[in-house]
Amino acid sequence: MILYLLKRLAVLAASIAAAGVAVFAFMALLPGDPAEVALGVNATPEAVAALRTQFGTDRPAAAQFLDWFGGLAGGDFGVSYVTSSPVGPQIGDRLGVTAVLVLGGMAVALLIAVPLGTFAAVHHRNPLGAAISAASQAGIAVPAFLAGILLVYVFAVKAQALPSGGYVPLADDPAEWLRGLVLPWLSLGLVQGAVLTRYVRSAVLDVMREDYLRTARAKGRGALGALWRHGLRNASVPVVTVLGLQLATLLVGAVVVERVFVIPGLGDLLLNGVAARDLLLVQGVVMVLVAAVLLINFVVDVTYHLLDPRLR
Amino acid sequence: MLSVDGLDVHAGPVRLVRDVSFGIGPGERVGLIGESGSGKSLTALSLMGLLPEGVTASGRATLDGDDLVGVPERRLKRLRGREVSMVFQEPMTALNPLMRVGAQVAEVMTLHGRPRAEARERAVHLLGRVRLPRPEQIARAYPHQLSGGQRQRVMLAIALANEPRLLICDEPTTALDVTVQKQMLELIAEVAPALLFITHDLAVVASVCERVVVMYGGRVVESGPIREVFTNPRHRYTEGLLAASRLTPRGTRLPTIKGSVPAAGGFPDGCVFRNRCPHATEACEQEPALTGDGHAFACWHPAG
Amino acid sequence: MTGRMNASLLTGGALVGVVVLAALASFVWTPHDPTLVDAARKLHEPGGGYLLGADKFGRDTFSQLMVGARTTLYVGVVAVGIAALLGTPLGVIAGMTPRGWLSELIMRVNDLVFAFPALLLAVMLGAVYGADTLTAMIAIGVSTVPAFARVARAATLQVMVTDYVLAARAAGRGPGAIATRHVLPNIGSVLIVQASVSFAIAILAEAALSFLGFGTRPPTPSWGRMLQESQELLFSTPRLALWPGLAIAVAVLGFNLLGDGLRDFLDPKLRRIRAER
Repeated sequence: MILYLLKRLAVLAASIAAAGVAVFAFMALLPGDPAEVALGVNATPEAVAALRTQFGTDRPAAAQFLDWFGGLAGGDFGVSYVTSSPVGPQIGDRLGVTAVLVLGGMAVALLIAVPLGTFAAVHHRNPLGAAISAASQAGIAVPAFLAGILLVYVFAVKAQALPSGGYVPLADDPAEWLRGLVLPWLSLGLVQGAVLTRYVRSAVLDVMREDYLRTARAKGRGALGALWRHGLRNASVPVVTVLGLQLATLLVGAVVVERVFVIPGLGDLLLNGVAARDLLLVQGVVMVLVAAVLLINFVVDVTYHLLDPRLR
Repeated sequence: MLSVDGLDVHAGPVRLVRDVSFGIGPGERVGLIGESGSGKSLTALSLMGLLPEGVTASGRATLDGDDLVGVPERRLKRLRGREVSMVFQEPMTALNPLMRVGAQVAEVMTLHGRPRAEARERAVHLLGRVRLPRPEQIARAYPHQLSGGQRQRVMLAIALANEPRLLICDEPTTALDVTVQKQMLELIAEVAPALLFITHDLAVVASVCERVVVMYGGRVVESGPIREVFTNPRHRYTEGLLAASRLTPRGTRLPTIKGSVPAAGGFPDGCVFRNRCPHATEACEQEPALTGDGHAFACWHPAG
Repeated sequence: MTGRMNASLLTGGALVGVVVLAALASFVWTPHDPTLVDAARKLHEPGGGYLLGADKFGRDTFSQLMVGARTTLYVGVVAVGIAALLGTPLGVIAGMTPRGWLSELIMRVNDLVFAFPALLLAVMLGAVYGADTLTAMIAIGVSTVPAFARVARAATLQVMVTDYVLAARAAGRGPGAIATRHVLPNIGSVLIVQASVSFAIAILAEAALSFLGFGTRPPTPSWGRMLQESQELLFSTPRLALWPGLAIAVAVLGFNLLGDGLRDFLDPKLRRIRAER
């Protein structure tokens, strides 16, 4: 297990490094010199050269990369060529907001998918189970931002029960913070919940056909008792894999949902960065998001191994 | 002790098992034999209340006065694993892969009211009783770390844990290596309280059981003491089955039963065997009754 | 191809058919010019030649939806095409040499690309080159390659252990011949299912990108951008959000159902391989 963990950690580190190279190489391909862009067309060559030295863009690409990538671990993402402010703290401020958004969305998805998917599997022969399957199929077809717009229409425009957007920091007003997050969480969670429901259903259905469930019943458990005690943990093995993929999807979904609800998270920062052509900022946010996806995959793999003794 | 009387099993309109009756006395070991599709496994599962979804049993089966068929799941649950236990055919998939073996043995005891610590202790004892070497170690193992034969012993330990009155074994050795089979059979014969042993293998029945019930097409066609049925079969199906299994001298043709077992619901009216029977006549369009005391058979043109 | 028509296949086919028909028809006829700005028709109510009404610029919603279907299918076809053309050979190679260094390299790079969702690729491309339909298609296509490669690899691994491939190898056939004669024909059905599922995802991605302004540029109509434009009028004119939203949902549902239906309909041998999202 330890060996496996070390191996997996090495792969994670290598992947993050490779992703760093990819992101850096891609952004470095950019036509145009940040120093020239910053100073405008009327700048003297001397001024441009001076700024280039200040930015560090006159050095070889490899040195620039090592500088940038080396700084990441310590939270140093460089200083924006556009706003002249350090990128790291901006990302730090926004990271928490996006994390809360994504984890809340995941929680909503799980709260929907585990009971509904299990119910649909247990009742797969009757109309209610089939109805859940059909509803989840329809739910998958709704993108998160569309769900967001629909939710705003129902709960903010019609019922006027919840705010249609905006974000109040937790420290300022916990109640408003929560009210502001309900719709974004639902937008992310409902759709992912629909996707997850299908996976939970099929995982539980597979497990229900297993011989060891019959063994459990032969011991004297009822059908549901056997499923609860022996089935759900087994069913969770494939579901955990999907969960990891979904967290990655949610991270991207959060970018869009932040735009719908005007929430100052990483997605908002990313899109603002693109609009302002603040490439170092874009580079930094993309790197954080990609690293997050890789980290999630790592956690999923390890969880998988913890859940299933056959893999140890 | 166990008495089965007029047991029927249906899947929708299709009758898979018809009017099956037999009994098992305390300590008696009875073999239930037949080809696949004969209804022998369904008969066993209906005694456990574990029929697959959409399949239902009717008729009467009692174990020392406790009804086993047509009673609510709530009451059956209390009997399963305590009064009557079952060992299944496929040991590789019958245990929960994510749970330690000892916990799976202990579970059947805690489920029926034994304190947890005591159950854990007894689980190790039981693993030793089914002749697993180093039971403490086996108890901590996961199923995938054990061989097929070892897993089947674990299943047997689970079945015996609460000292049931009846043990049902459904082809418990079919999936095992030949060398392991023999040890397993000896062990079952030794530890079983009363036994209902389901198999298609006549040699296995002969080595374990005292009495035999032969099923074909969902019906009992012959039953009686094993020595008598095997040396003097009366039903033409039993006769064919024995002839097909007997070792024949080199050069002679191996006798077989012509045709193959029809699909469920495809058996003829009257005698279920008549479309494959070389002795069938018009009389066989009427259903023969199971007659005889001790050694009973249902055939219009019995052998011998 | 011995399958039975099933409900998913028929429903999915019908929904996809509606979208395709709308897109094809838009080449020759739309009720109005979908890009024509007409202040007099601003927020025209449904009716009077404007079946579903008009938006804040007076553009006919129905006509926009028809041409938007074209955009959606165009992006989907190109993106899935990129994914299939790159992903299939990579997956087949990885599946035919499961223990080779090449296979290892392919799958590692695959995992890395997998960490770059379409949206991030599109944003990066957009930041560097300016976002338009092309960058959206490339981003969606590249990000879908890993799913194709994984499915192609899994299917190839199954085909490689079949008797007919073993026989072909024993007869001395080269890897190229085995790939084209045995592997590709046999994994075709799995790839078709994957293509259908990927198409649904491409539609979702295109809508999201256009919604964020990283997809099709105005004035070319796009369902995602219609939604984005409708957002500010959600209080007064919710129908502007309703129709493009419905169109996206119908198209995605259609391709998902089609994929499910095809899986059951096509060759059941490789049915256990599940399309990846």
